[in-house]
Amino acid sequence: MRAGEVALELQAVILNLLRFWGEEGCLVQQPYDLEVGAGTMHPETFLRVLGPEPYRVAYVQPSRRPADARFGENPFRLGKHLQLQVILKPSPPNVQGLYLRSLEALGIDPAVHDVRFEEDNWESPTLGAWGVGWQVLLDGMEITQFTYFQQAGGLDLKPISAEITYGLERMAMFLQRKTSIYEVEWVSGVPYGAVRHRDEVELSRYAFQRADVAMLRRHFEDWEREGFRCLEGEDPLVIPALEAALKMSHLFNLLDARGAISTTERVAMIARVRKLAVATAKAYVEQRKRAGFPLLSGGAA
Amino acid sequence: MNGKFLFELLCEEIPANALPAARQQLVSSLTEKLLEAGVTFSRILGFSTSRRLALWVEGLPSETPARVEEVLGPPASVAFAPDGSLTRAGEGFARAHGVAPEELQVVEGPKGRVVAAKKHIPGLALPDLLAHIVPAAVTGLHFPKTMRWGEGEYVFVRPVHRIVALWGLETLDQVVRFAIFGVASGASTLGHRVTHPGEVLLAGVQDLEDYTKRLRQAGVELDPGRRGELFRQRAEELAAAVGCRVREDRALEDEHVELVEYPGLVRGELDPAWLSLPEEVIVTTLRHHQKCLVLEKEGRVAPYFLAVCDRPDDPQGHVRRGNEWVAGARLADAHFFFHQDLALPLSATAEKLTRVAFHTQLGSFADKAQRLEALVVRLAESLGLRGLVEPLKTAARLAKADLATHMVGEFPELQGVMGGIYARHEGYGPEVWQAIAEQYVPAGQDGPIPQSITGALLGVADRLDTLAALFSVGEIPSGSKDPFALRRHALSVVRICGEFPLHLLLADAVSWASAPFGGGGVSELASFLRERERFFLETKGLPAPVADAVLTARWGLPADDLAVGQALATLWQTPEFMGLATAFKRVRNMVGKEGEGAWAPERLREPAEKALASKVAGLEQELAALAASKAWGQALQLLASLAEPLDRFFTDVLVMCPEAELRQARLGLLARIQRLFLQLADVSKLQVAN
Repeated sequence: MRAGEVALELQAVILNLLRFWGEEGCLVQQPYDLEVGAGTMHPETFLRVLGPEPYRVAYVQPSRRPADARFGENPFRLGKHLQLQVILKPSPPNVQGLYLRSLEALGIDPAVHDVRFEEDNWESPTLGAWGVGWQVLLDGMEITQFTYFQQAGGLDLKPISAEITYGLERMAMFLQRKTSIYEVEWVSGVPYGAVRHRDEVELSRYAFQRADVAMLRRHFEDWEREGFRCLEGEDPLVIPALEAALKMSHLFNLLDARGAISTTERVAMIARVRKLAVATAKAYVEQRKRAGFPLLSGGAA
Repeated sequence: MNGKFLFELLCEEIPANALPAARQQLVSSLTEKLLEAGVTFSRILGFSTSRRLALWVEGLPSETPARVEEVLGPPASVAFAPDGSLTRAGEGFARAHGVAPEELQVVEGPKGRVVAAKKHIPGLALPDLLAHIVPAAVTGLHFPKTMRWGEGEYVFVRPVHRIVALWGLETLDQVVRFAIFGVASGASTLGHRVTHPGEVLLAGVQDLEDYTKRLRQAGVELDPGRRGELFRQRAEELAAAVGCRVREDRALEDEHVELVEYPGLVRGELDPAWLSLPEEVIVTTLRHHQKCLVLEKEGRVAPYFLAVCDRPDDPQGHVRRGNEWVAGARLADAHFFFHQDLALPLSATAEKLTRVAFHTQLGSFADKAQRLEALVVRLAESLGLRGLVEPLKTAARLAKADLATHMVGEFPELQGVMGGIYARHEGYGPEVWQAIAEQYVPAGQDGPIPQSITGALLGVADRLDTLAALFSVGEIPSGSKDPFALRRHALSVVRICGEFPLHLLLADAVSWASAPFGGGGVSELASFLRERERFFLETKGLPAPVADAVLTARWGLPADDLAVGQALATLWQTPEFMGLATAFKRVRNMVGKEGEGAWAPERLREPAEKALASKVAGLEQELAALAASKAWGQALQLLASLAEPLDRFFTDVLVMCPEAELRQARLGLLARIQRLFLQLADVSKLQVAN
């Protein structure tokens, strides 16, 4: 922020970033209406980065990591946090420059700060996906994850998408210089804690103490069967299959937080989710191909 | 020879760990390609920053040397008519190669007599050569991880934005034209991304100094060596200003050099309340997340740190305040974890290890801890250290518990260290907490070994268990593939045994460690350890043939093996030992080929063999006594005293005589001598090298 300027509220951070990226040709999408671990799992990322069609999209995604939950007691850790996700496909040559301008939209003038791009690669075994990139450090604070996707759903990508993920609570906390996430101003006079603290307590209790392990396991199996069933036949149902994989992934995360997964089982369960994600990715590309890759001429937005 | 060439590739931020190798490869690859073309030069230098790779070459000729090449053409019978005149085919060949008809020659080719033209190949202008070899050198660079971008046509370490390639004699005034990664070469680059974002024209650069100056004016310090110096100066200034010193961290300082285009540092202040955390926690927290150096006063961590930044200044104080906020937040987080961990006794934390995987086929760390307990007890008992059995049992049970703590979950590099701190906090004795703290020491190939005997024993037991476990499921390192760093683990076992020293018989220890896995892979593991011991002996300065002589005879007591080798190294090139090597080689060959016979001195009849037999019998006891007191030099001298009687034996006595019993007795004598030598060294190995 500029000297003397008031730091942005969380809500302004969201609105400014969405407006900025919207003006850069991104379709402003909405969060996916399922529990996901990261914005990457949203079909607007996981599926859109596949195949040859260009796409630009930005959205906020509430992201759940049950094992990171801390009963609302740790000032830096949340079981559910907000990511602001941007996908630029293909990655434009000036993508780093665009990113720096997005900081200006937050009132940060890079000319008086230290901005560094430090190697940090990304991999998601459950999605069969990996990418190469950086964490962006602003005055020593990691505020963004920047990734060039190389593979998703086990498929080599061409063109390559750039993914920019802002961790919103951490960023707002840093900009507002708060010592607890719960003190971050959502808007002036309304702290984050007033909006979200109780969820964190309850979601932690559920994930660590209350969740019914047998039921979660049963549902994991059910959704696995259901997912593959969606992919059967001439005209597979791609979105329902992906949703099944996302549910499996979240069930797995809950079981893991609950301490119900043994070491050997762990690898096997991740592989089962990946298998469905990979099959879904393949079905999606075939489906788009049959449709003649409709976004190839003109782009998304 | 005053040609100069400048190459710069500007791209997005390159991983710090890839840069040193990239600079070096770029220089060696271009050097090789220039020499291949017959081009010499006075110097070549490689540079880099976080987002550029650069080369400077000077003292280049303006063209490659001209040369003559012989080109073979059609058979002589086709090129020449019977009257000796050229046929149309012959004329065509001469024309095609620009050679006058009378200059054609007839030579003997691989398929008979053919016409040949001596082609004079003129030199190639250097820019033309460079336009060819520079792209090959750049695209041939190896990086640990590469990527695609944009439309996905190109592969490199990061997306490439600019290529500068300039040639000139006095000044760099000619662009060497080529394109790589879809980017055409040009004459200008960009300055520092934030402080000087504009164009930097490089056409007209006169020398290396001029080039680096133009970049410096654009906020970029090109030379990593210079950045290192500036970092050190700045760090010392910033530390001295608050009466402190920089706590040395060479690896981190080297990394800083590669992280930036300009070597900036800011000093931040810590809330002194955080100094109640263990020093290891403070240092690791700041290092892990922010790559900060820590300041110290009188050897203790002081409430200051130095954060790297990619700019010379901090115009509005944002850089310092931002880093201070982050450091405070991270330490608060660490504080939270530290106290959460302390709330649960280590023995309860250890119960969580059933859920921490050691290896998919080898169960959990709880399983490993159980094996570790049994093994370390066995090692201690074999050394007669009964008094340490109880503390070692406790240490082994708790050794891996910190893997399930919050702190090590956050900072894996603190494994062992945290366990030690928590154990001390809970009131366990030093024999226990030091063992836990030192179990992973040494962390790398070098570095000090554990200071406590319980740490040494636990560390050896843990690594032997890891080695035996992974060998039993076929995870044996081969070539450059060693994903579990088993070579390093094995070397640490040898180093600890050799340097502490521990008088453990590694051959026995390997079989104990392998027992829980049904003994699979024992012999492979034994020879693997022996090879690491060879490396150990050689790093201690033993000549390769001496190390070989020792290890062929004995291995697995690295301290003694080293002492024997050191004694041998002072003797092996004396004439006496060289003669002994030859004689012992005959002993080994004969026993190896004809068998060990049977010891029956009463059957021997020649004076030379009787003399040898009586000498041997007397020697055995003496040698045993010297070995027991580890007087290896004297023991070797004693063996050397066999040189003369052995020589006489081989001169006077025919071992392979017709009488079977006598022959067996003579072989029996030689076999006994062989056993005697092999308690110390197979000196026959020294013969070849002499």
